[in-house]
Amino acid sequence: MEIRKIYNRISVLREERGVSRKELAEKIGVNFQTVGYLEREEYNPSLDLAFRIAEYFGLPVDMIFSTKPMKPLSREIFDLKNKSGEYYEFNDF
Amino acid sequence: MSLTISKSKRRLAVLINYGCLLLFVGMFITGKYLEWNIAVIVCGLLALIMLLVSFIALHIKTKLWKLAHSKTADLDERELQLTLQSLRHSYIIYAIISLLVIFSLAMLAGRHDSTLIIIYAGLLYLAHTLPSAIIAWREREV
Repeated sequence: MEIRKIYNRISVLREERGVSRKELAEKIGVNFQTVGYLEREEYNPSLDLAFRIAEYFGLPVDMIFSTKPMKPLSREIFDLKNKSGEYYEFNDF
Repeated sequence: MSLTISKSKRRLAVLINYGCLLLFVGMFITGKYLEWNIAVIVCGLLALIMLLVSFIALHIKTKLWKLAHSKTADLDERELQLTLQSLRHSYIIYAIISLLVIFSLAMLAGRHDSTLIIIYAGLLYLAHTLPSAIIAWREREV
């Protein structure tokens, strides 16, 4: 079976929250080196680990993981707001 | 686990480690079946020392020994996947080497001892069927 690459925003979210790799690793129950592998997208997490990460950041799993390269978070929020009827110019961000 | 040593250095250490093991075993066999002379003893001792030094550098200092020998419960999912893949490759390599050694011994003693050939055939069968036998033993009914 061919394994697809899973893209993620873990490093962006971790830096945004000011959390070290070691702290994140302790919270989600993995070795801190595994966080590095996840951030470099060299390891695809299990569904359980993906949910643990999503729960830690308080975001839906599909905001953190994707099978396609991730857009910048600001772009994602802009698209979501446009979808929900709140129209903005992208430069407003 | 620490993989701070570069991959090429780790691979070199693996080659040196197993090379020394082969040399040590070779020197022992040479000494036992041909002659124990000073060259054989020195080579054997040097190989043993290098074997220990490379073992410590490759397995102990990198903590890879600890990783490969940890309980499943102490590993996270990536480490578990890594060790399972490593065990899968190890099983294949170990089975091939063991069977080649037993096959060589069976061929050397072939005319005089058919027991080794039967043992070889049994082990060959076991090596190929054991993985599926374990699945058959453990898996629940669907």
